[in-house]
Order: sequence, then structure tokens, then C-alpha cells
Amino acid sequence: MLEIKDIVFSVPDLDAPEKGAQKTIIDGVSYTFEQGKFYAITGPNGSGKTTLAKLIMGIYDVTSGSIFLERKDITQLGITERARAGIAYSFQHPARFKGTTFRDLLSIAAGTEDEDKLAKIVARVGICSLDFLDKPVDSRLSGGEIKKVELATTIARNPRVAIYDEPDTGIDLWTIDPMVRLLKREQETQGTTTIVVSHNRAFLSAADTLLLIKGGRIAYAGDLDGAAELLKDLSACGYGDICEGESDVRCHR
Amino acid sequence: MFDAIDKKLLKAVADLEGIPKGAYNIRKNGKLLGREISANIIIETNEAGTGIVVRINPGTLNESVHIPVIVSQAGLHDVVYNTFIIGAGSDVTIVAGCGIHCGGSKSQGHEGIHEFQVEKGARVKYVEKHVAMGEGKGKRALNPTTKVFLAEDAYAEMELSQLGGVDQAERVNMVELSAGSSLLITERVMTDGTQTAVSRNEIILAGDNSRANMISRSVIRGDSRQDFYATMDARAKCFGHIECDAILMGNGSNETVPSLKAKHPDAELTHEASIGKIADEQLMKLMSLGLTYDEAVNRIIQGFLK
Repeated sequence: MLEIKDIVFSVPDLDAPEKGAQKTIIDGVSYTFEQGKFYAITGPNGSGKTTLAKLIMGIYDVTSGSIFLERKDITQLGITERARAGIAYSFQHPARFKGTTFRDLLSIAAGTEDEDKLAKIVARVGICSLDFLDKPVDSRLSGGEIKKVELATTIARNPRVAIYDEPDTGIDLWTIDPMVRLLKREQETQGTTTIVVSHNRAFLSAADTLLLIKGGRIAYAGDLDGAAELLKDLSACGYGDICEGESDVRCHR
Repeated sequence: MFDAIDKKLLKAVADLEGIPKGAYNIRKNGKLLGREISANIIIETNEAGTGIVVRINPGTLNESVHIPVIVSQAGLHDVVYNTFIIGAGSDVTIVAGCGIHCGGSKSQGHEGIHEFQVEKGARVKYVEKHVAMGEGKGKRALNPTTKVFLAEDAYAEMELSQLGGVDQAERVNMVELSAGSSLLITERVMTDGTQTAVSRNEIILAGDNSRANMISRSVIRGDSRQDFYATMDARAKCFGHIECDAILMGNGSNETVPSLKAKHPDAELTHEASIGKIADEQLMKLMSLGLTYDEAVNRIIQGFLK
């Protein structure tokens, strides 16, 4: 349904001594996501998980390789066209806007300003209340609140493919299970192909297939049980070999 | 009474389709076009004949006054001195605003010098919109000065906007707050082309437990320039906040200078200021909801200036 073929993504390596050096973030990834399945993408910090997700949405352009959505080549399409083709994206660190309300974002996402329809979407999402609607999506929203807004606007798109980048960032423990159930319900009732980038076991267990990314490649694709051994070193920092301690935290933690 | 241009300007500055309900004073090209008073709101021409005095009787609740100004005569620079006396305990809305229609090559302008005395416990909302239109090449200038004196426990909310067409604007707002009084100013200005706009604000927190909040939003398109200066001068135990944000589009420029002066040990003053282009993450979010780049820019600006 969504096929990525030999995707490579490189950026200028500013730390390299020689000029013009490139650093490869995604190193030849191919995979086919099947219609209506739930995928979890996991891996150590800096392994390329978010980059892969952003390449699918068109936020970054691939250096080489192709992306097909329902057999149509979308490699050259921008964010807007991919959104209109049915891909939706939930950002890990959602944008905040001065003056733009949750209602504004939800109306754009759903393509309607109809009060009843918006209320139905809020009810369907369940995790944010109706009185949220007229709140500005600005710095006054807490980390958890803005993630719920982000999730709602993604679901309001009724996407064919929904990508969630670390949806549990800033979310309290008590909301994570309802959030997993919500994404499962959307997958089952709407047939949404769901891709979640996460370290959280709750999402990994909910997935039909787990993709483990390491060093810009898929190190494992399969069920959670099969990944048990590999996941053991997930807690270990991927920057171990270059880490210089507190004074130079390259992983930006 | 109104021609097509008048109607268009009145709609733009005061959201009026015709004669407003309640008290009003409409000024066109430096002359009185129409006036209506109510039982609680008296409007008179001032002694010098240079403007009006609006008196709101104490205890007047939920009434409004419209005082729009139209400048459509080529070459006219209209100057007006208006005084507003908001009686104790009243709660009213005053809708002012100036619309310029420029059809020729001569410059046109309006300078409204407004003075408000908001008496004890009174609440006033002052809405002022400035608009200029017309196919003429003449410069359109609007230079308003607003002075506000808030008595004990009084409240003033000022909603000031200039969203297009004005070539040159120099705004001065001066407010003095007595004990327990509060002030909210929101100013929204959009400039384009080679337009310039300057806003100077001097807010004196003179009384204990007075509170002032000034919010400024600027959108600077083309080669235009906007400068914003605001001073909170705290002379008592008080709270003051300045929030000023400017979005630069094109090659415009901006100078933003918030200034906090605490002259009392219990003064609490804060400010936040930003100047920059529209954030990429905002554009990407809206584009990921299906908007084009241009649509996303428009939505962000609309919300910012709302």
C-alpha cells in the first residue's frame, strides 16, 4: 500500500574535517507497508526513525530512492500533495501558533467548520474535551495538551496512512493506554495504515509489525517476541562511542 | 446621507451597514455628518469647536457609542480633539475609527487626539480601526494620540487595529492607572509596500494593585517598516506585562523596544518580544493538513492578527 524503495537520505556532515563530506542518515531502506496494518518503528536515539517518517510525509526530500502510495509514485510530491493523497503526520514537537485555536486547526484538518462535525471528531478522539476547541494552540498549552491536539488533527484528516512520531511525549501515564486503544480503533474501523515511531512498550505491543531501525537501516522487521533480544540494548545510548559526557551531549538529550 | 464610498468606509472601520443603534457622531471631511444622543450618553461639540465631548452618565450599563470619521476629500488633513468622560460605575463600548478614501494624488490624513477620563469603577471598551483605500496615489496618514486616565478600580480595554492601506502612521498611547485599575491594550498592525508605522506607548502604573497588559502584533510585508516602543513605568505595587511579536515577510524591517521601569520594590514587570519570519514548523503543520504554502501563510497571519 505504501512502498519505500532503496531510500537514501544524506545531509552535509558539518563535523567532518574535509569540506563537502556527507553523512548518511537513511542508508538504503526498502519496505512495503500493508493496507490497514499497525506498524511500530523503534530504535536507538539518532538511528533515523523520525527521518524515515519525515521522508514518507515529504518533509524531507529523499537523496535517492522512491516512495509509492497505492502504486503511485509520490517521490516528487510535496507535503501538501502527499497530505491530499491521504498521508497524515503527527509531529513529535508540534508547532505552537499565536492566535490560532484548536478549532482553527481542526477545521482545516477536517475541511469543515460545522460545529456538530467538529464535536463528533472531538468525541471520536475522546482524549481531549470540547472546551478545548477555542483554546489557542500557543505556549500556554502543556506538553500533553498540545500532543492531544496534534493527535486529533491527524485523526480528523481520515488519513489512509497515519504517521505518529512519538505520540506519548509529554503524555501522562494514564493517557497512554487510551491513546493506544484510540489508534487501534482507528486502524480497525477506518482501515488506517498506522505507523507509530516510539520507544514505548505499549505501542510496540499494539503493533502488528515492529521495525527496528539501527544506523539508518532496518535491522529487524517482525513481531515483538522475535525482537526481544535486539530490544535489550535499546536502552543503551546510540551515541556511546562518541559521547563526551555532560559537556557535549551530541544526542541533544 | 451616505454615498457608496462612505458606506464602504463605515463598514470597514465600524462594521456599520447604516446608521448605528444608540448614540453616535459621524464626522466626514472635518464636518459633522450626523449625531444622536441617548438618555445616558451626551455628545456635544467642544468649546473651541475642534472636536466633541462625550459624557457617559454614571451607572450607564451595556450601551455603545459610535464615532467614526471619514476622510474622502483630496488634500484634507483633519485634526480633531475628542474628550470622553466615562461616569463612575458605567460599562460601555466606544467604537471609533477612521477610514480614508484617497482618489487623487494629494496626501490625506486624520489626527484624532482622544482623551479618556474613566471614573471610579467604570469599564470601557474602546475599539479603533484604521483603514485606507482608494485608487489615488496620494499619501494616506493616520496619527492618533490616545490619553487615558483610569481612576480607582476602573478598567479599560483598547482594541486598536490598522490592517491595510495606511502609508504613514504615528500612534501615541499614554495611560495612567490609579489604584486597583486595570488596562488591556491589543494593537494589530499590518503594513506593506513602503508604508511606515510607529507606535509609542507610555503606561504609568501609579496606583497600588494596578495591572496593565499590552499586546502588540505586527505583520511587516514588502519593504515596509514598523517600530514599536512601549514603556511600563511602575510607581506602586503593581503588575505590568508587554508582549510584542513581529512577523517579517519580504524585506521589511522592525524595531521593537519594550522597556520596564520599576520605581517601587513591589512592582512586578515582565515582557516577551519576538521578531522573525513565520516558523517553518508552523508552515509544515498546516501543509501536512492539506493547505498549500500560500494558504498556510495566510492562515497563520489571519490567526496572528485576529
